[in-house]
Amino acid sequence: MSKAKQMIKMNKTSMIKVATVTAVILLSGCSSLGVEPWQRDLLAKDEMALTAAPLDAALDDHIYFSKEASSGGRGFGGGGCGCN
Amino acid sequence: MQLIQSPMPAQNSNKKALKSLLTTATCALLGVNASVEANTNPLADWKFDTALMVYSEVNRVSAAEAIIAGTKTFKNDEILNLKVTLDALTGASANGAVGQPNVQTFTSPSGGSNYRVDANKTPLDDTFKDTRAQASAQWTQPLANNYTWSVGGNFSKEFDYLSLGANTNIAKDFNKKNTTLSAGLALAYDQIKPSGGIADPLTPMLFGNEVISGTYDDEGGENRSNKVTIANSDNKNTVDLLFGLTQVINRRMIVQFNYSFSHINGYLNDPYKLLSVINNNGLTQQYLYENRPGSRSKHAFFAQTKYHFAHSILDASYRYMTDDWHIHSHTVDLHYRMNLSQDNYIEPHIRYYTQTAADFYQPFLQEGSTVPEFASADYRLGDMDTYTVGIKYGMPLGSGKSMAFRLEYYHQTPKNSGFSQPGVLAEQNLYENIDAVIAQVSYSF
Amino acid sequence: MVVFRSIFVLSLIFMASLAQANSMTELDNALKEAKGQVVYLDFWASWCGPCRKSFPWLNAMQAKYQAQNFKVISVNVDTDRSAAEKFLQALPAHFSVIYDPKGKIARKFKLKGMPSSYLINKQGEVVSAHVGFIDNKKSQYENEIIQLTKQK
Repeated sequence: MSKAKQMIKMNKTSMIKVATVTAVILLSGCSSLGVEPWQRDLLAKDEMALTAAPLDAALDDHIYFSKEASSGGRGFGGGGCGCN
Repeated sequence: MQLIQSPMPAQNSNKKALKSLLTTATCALLGVNASVEANTNPLADWKFDTALMVYSEVNRVSAAEAIIAGTKTFKNDEILNLKVTLDALTGASANGAVGQPNVQTFTSPSGGSNYRVDANKTPLDDTFKDTRAQASAQWTQPLANNYTWSVGGNFSKEFDYLSLGANTNIAKDFNKKNTTLSAGLALAYDQIKPSGGIADPLTPMLFGNEVISGTYDDEGGENRSNKVTIANSDNKNTVDLLFGLTQVINRRMIVQFNYSFSHINGYLNDPYKLLSVINNNGLTQQYLYENRPGSRSKHAFFAQTKYHFAHSILDASYRYMTDDWHIHSHTVDLHYRMNLSQDNYIEPHIRYYTQTAADFYQPFLQEGSTVPEFASADYRLGDMDTYTVGIKYGMPLGSGKSMAFRLEYYHQTPKNSGFSQPGVLAEQNLYENIDAVIAQVSYSF
Repeated sequence: MVVFRSIFVLSLIFMASLAQANSMTELDNALKEAKGQVVYLDFWASWCGPCRKSFPWLNAMQAKYQAQNFKVISVNVDTDRSAAEKFLQALPAHFSVIYDPKGKIARKFKLKGMPSSYLINKQGEVVSAHVGFIDNKKSQYENEIIQLTKQK
């Protein structure tokens, strides 16, 4: 195995390690965040949903998909049209 | 302790009749047997969201789009969502060629007619008229152990375009539902059958009087076309992967992080887009059909937060996207919903977007230099900034009905990423701004 | 005038805080009073969707089994009492409601979700707990009630 290949392999394993550690920290960190089940009065509101106006979002996705080079992110990439 | 059922008011039965009609229509369109549902559960369980939007660019494209979506929640929290979208588009869109000091003539995609572009104007093809019908269905249900599973499909048809898609998503809640991890997969198959066929990439546009033989022509008879065609239709396949983390921070705040990967393979050209080939004086010699790579891989990182103030909600999101066409983009989107009295609200909206050009983007080709393997003059693949400002007003109408109005202004500023404009081209604006207005009415019941 | 009004408001606040401080005592008393009866203790809130679905069923259970020494006691966890009252106007409860705006009782019971319910036998012991309210569990809940009312 060449040195370069070894480096790449090491990089890959260390990347996986970093990703795992990050995920564990993130999840354990997350467990100290949040609310009790009876404290969801504000979060339960329709307007606090992450996509509170799905039709607005769908219409916007269609416009920006056909007018710009990027799409998706919030959900799946959109598309399904010729969009000239 | 009165348990007497009050007689149903007339208004309510009207609503039911309308709902029943809409449900039957929606289900009929999607091939679901509505009557079976009706027997087991009243139609009152359906909730409908409708919207009508008009998008209109100054001097260019106008589009109208109508959506009706029905959502039903079943006994055990399963949710069925059915959606039908119709849209119609007319007007002119940039064909990719550069403006000239003289009048330019182009052949319409079908080859049957010509259109002229005035001197010193950005060439726009005004022969576009298209309608699209789309239907989609999504089923979401809770599973044991805090899992939620969702599956859906969609179908979309334009006269020159067909799209079929399917998706699935699984989510798991942790920490008293304060943390949610999700993973999703979507597949799509798109087929394009452009008017006049698929042009041989980077070959010249032909004119109406040049009759060519051996090309694919549906009409039969006269082989009139504005291009050398290599096929009637072509297609592309899309695979999307989506991973998400949603976290409740406190009683007022929630955040979401998504990573998505998208791979598209197949015919990615815009079959109607051209590139001008100019000489040293900046004068157009001919027009070539564009050619884009046969695949594209995109990565998108998306973050969103919502914060509930005493009487308002801030919704802020950011997206970074990058792909192997070397487009990088940043999007910032802010909504601020302010509650007025009695559940009325106004919601200002600002969106800012910036992208760098695809590595094969060029506003024109130069005569005498080698034609690159890939080239497109589509301004949507060039350097560009855009912004949107808008406002929405929403009001409840009682008994679960509501209405909202939205008005937005969208501005695009395509930019030169370092191309010099020889000769007469120096006088031309190759990066024309575009202004558009978006108006929308929504009604939920 | 202003003084009178502020005294009035202050006394209201005082009374309200007294009521809050005593939500736990209120429940204790209600449970003591219900000794010898089977109690279905239900935690609900105006913003909780499944709670809306559970109310007609709770009313039905109360009506059907109250003759067999059965009783529904509910605890409302809305921070804003007026939200709860608005909910009750639309969906009247034919059982008692204890207001727990600070979540003192909820915390004591370590609720895992909304709604949460507990079945308490005639001896005053919690014998089962449920999180959420879904239609296909109704008959199971009812069977548990029947079993407990049959016990001594």
